[in-house]
Amino acid sequence: MSIKGVERMQKKWLGLSLSLMLAAGIAGCGGNGNNNKSGGAAEGTPGAATASPTASAAAETGEPVQLKYWTDDRHDQEYIKELVNKFNETNGENIQVELTVMSENYAQSVDIAFTSNQAPDILRLKSGNTPEFVKKGYLAPIDGYLTDEIKTKFGSLLIDGVNRFDGKVYSLANTGLTLRLIYNKDLFDKAGIANPPASLQEMVDDAKKITETGKSEGVYGFALNFKSPKSAFDRSMREILSLSGYQGLGFDLETGQFDFAPYSQVIEYFKQMYEDGSILPGAETLDIDPLRAQFAAGKIGMYLSFSTEPGVYQDQFPTEINWAGTLAPTLDGQIKGTSEIVSAGTWLGISAKSAHQDAAWKFMQYMYGDDILKTYHEKGFGIAVVPSIVEQAKNPEIGGMEGFLVGEHDSLWPAVPNVTPEGSTYADAFFKYMLSGGDAKAIAADLNTRYNDALSKAVEKGEVTVTPDPAFDPMKPQGE
Amino acid sequence: MIYKWKRLGENSLFLAPSVILTLTLGIYPLIWMLRYMFYDYAGYGEALFTGLDNFSRLLRDTLFWESVRNTFVFAGGKLLLTLPLSLLLAVILNGRLRGSNLLRGIYFMPTVISTAVISVVFYNIFNSYNGMVNTVLMKLHLVSQPVDWLGPKHAMLTVILVAVWGAVGNYMLLFLAGLQSIPQDLYESASIDGANAGRRFWNITLPMLAPVAQMVIMLAIIASLKGYESIMVITEGGPIGKTEVMYLYLYKLLFPVSTGSPVTQQLGYGSAVGFATAVIVGAVTGLYFFFSRKMNKVY
Repeated sequence: MSIKGVERMQKKWLGLSLSLMLAAGIAGCGGNGNNNKSGGAAEGTPGAATASPTASAAAETGEPVQLKYWTDDRHDQEYIKELVNKFNETNGENIQVELTVMSENYAQSVDIAFTSNQAPDILRLKSGNTPEFVKKGYLAPIDGYLTDEIKTKFGSLLIDGVNRFDGKVYSLANTGLTLRLIYNKDLFDKAGIANPPASLQEMVDDAKKITETGKSEGVYGFALNFKSPKSAFDRSMREILSLSGYQGLGFDLETGQFDFAPYSQVIEYFKQMYEDGSILPGAETLDIDPLRAQFAAGKIGMYLSFSTEPGVYQDQFPTEINWAGTLAPTLDGQIKGTSEIVSAGTWLGISAKSAHQDAAWKFMQYMYGDDILKTYHEKGFGIAVVPSIVEQAKNPEIGGMEGFLVGEHDSLWPAVPNVTPEGSTYADAFFKYMLSGGDAKAIAADLNTRYNDALSKAVEKGEVTVTPDPAFDPMKPQGE
Repeated sequence: MIYKWKRLGENSLFLAPSVILTLTLGIYPLIWMLRYMFYDYAGYGEALFTGLDNFSRLLRDTLFWESVRNTFVFAGGKLLLTLPLSLLLAVILNGRLRGSNLLRGIYFMPTVISTAVISVVFYNIFNSYNGMVNTVLMKLHLVSQPVDWLGPKHAMLTVILVAVWGAVGNYMLLFLAGLQSIPQDLYESASIDGANAGRRFWNITLPMLAPVAQMVIMLAIIASLKGYESIMVITEGGPIGKTEVMYLYLYKLLFPVSTGSPVTQQLGYGSAVGFATAVIVGAVTGLYFFFSRKMNKVY
């Protein structure tokens, strides 16, 4: 080989070696961002028992304790940033919290973070993701930190399957979402209807009247975001059923079995509205935001949704229409249960992989302080459910929120088991019935069989536990 | 000898990135799927070996078989419209038209635009309460009531039209590349012999394009059977499952979404469904290759 050839060879090898070193360097940077956090507290060990010396050691050495706090809440991010900054300046133990507001795919991002040892120390928890995070071992129990004072403050809101699993507490309540019928007062007036419907039959009649009055202008009586039938029914049926005295996701708390018979009664009224032509055309593929845009434009008489709506009509879709939220109608116009407060019972939790669980608890304790919880409610970011806060806090200054506040007809319900049946879900099956008919009783019977089969299997595998409560009272879902 | 070893080392290093990527992103997930299709696994906790249970569930899963039927309707509709249209456009733009380069760019544009973005735009164009299509049709007095383009009756047609819009430019470009490789002297000889444009197309263009067309049609078949992104945005498989295609059904099993109550991944059953969909797509492609084998031996 010539000298030039050898030089070329050497250059190639040099280039390749540099590339490999660069790749190794990048991989190293992307590795454990928690700086030895994986060697931290053992999973599932109560916080106090693993009292980490890291915080005090860090304070002594002058190195700040860095905590990562992840949330997928965007509506309150400015306020949370303010709180984090204030904590960073005033905590006195050199703890620095870094807030990351995620957009979509929060659960997947958390999964990836935990599998790659880059998990946050503090996580925003919601009722939808908490059971799975606990099962996956992401969360540390906080029982060891709970003083008598904290237990008194949050005690009535510690619920199995929501924030307490196998006797261990993983989060505490802050706010919840109430569900209401949201109606356009102007359209009701125009159709000559004095009050919002109290029964489902009235809802059907009102939707028909509003449509007859406004159809020429593209106004329809009713709509829901049926693009995702589950999302649509879980914000409507659930509330109608719980106020009518039945659990809203098809579970019978008395027997500890699924029973979709009450569901099949309510769907008849939805079907009637569809057949009457009282539902906004295209609602079959309507998402929630386009629905809100149409409601804000005065094209929809009523729909059912969460207490997030006042904020939406203040910021996202400002509207001139005269609207309000009110209790959902019931099967026969009689209130035989309480309106279920959903997404309540969880707010913040601590990572089981965090090496700074004590510091994380200190931050949690700060966030769960009375002043912060009170202001959170008053600013309208959520509706307070902690009894002592409900007593102290003033009403939020958001138009329309008065109809959503927790009242005598609202309460938390026991958690129901989450099972995955074979075949279509209850929402898909009933939506199909609503659009194309069939035998509602047979559909309910088929759902009962499939859901109860899945429940038996889940119980057998130890994934869920079911305790029937023959004395369950829908007017007092949490007992006396 | 040393040179040979050096050469081997050098070659191995150059091959390493693609081998590593294939192993980690191709072979490993495949083995993972082949293993978990015999398990009941939700992504956490213990994976329970269930033998062929997932496959017996697959056989009685009416939702899956409906999604297979929908996939063939969607793919068939898309191919029947896309392929002739893209060939026609390619032939037209292969001529020496003014502005043909600009038109090629315009027709190819949908291929480079984000499917999610464009699907949201199409949702707004087709929705029945204030969509542009209904507004135009009603202003022209072609319909008296808004047509529910995304309702149970018409949703499949709508998602096919959107898919055709997105695919025509891509296949047009591939056909165009094939057309440009046909020697011009064949056309000149045919013209001298008195062949008209139709005759030249039928007897020269189509046969000479056959080997390229064979590949283009294969790519189109695979893409149509696997397509689900725009459907996910426009209808999410609805209403009542009318546009649920195989890969969307599979996606929902592996990455379930819910705004309210908790949902659980079904990684074991999802793997079995993934295997079945791959077999179906593979079988269709294999059959196509068998029946189209003569296209490769035109000249």
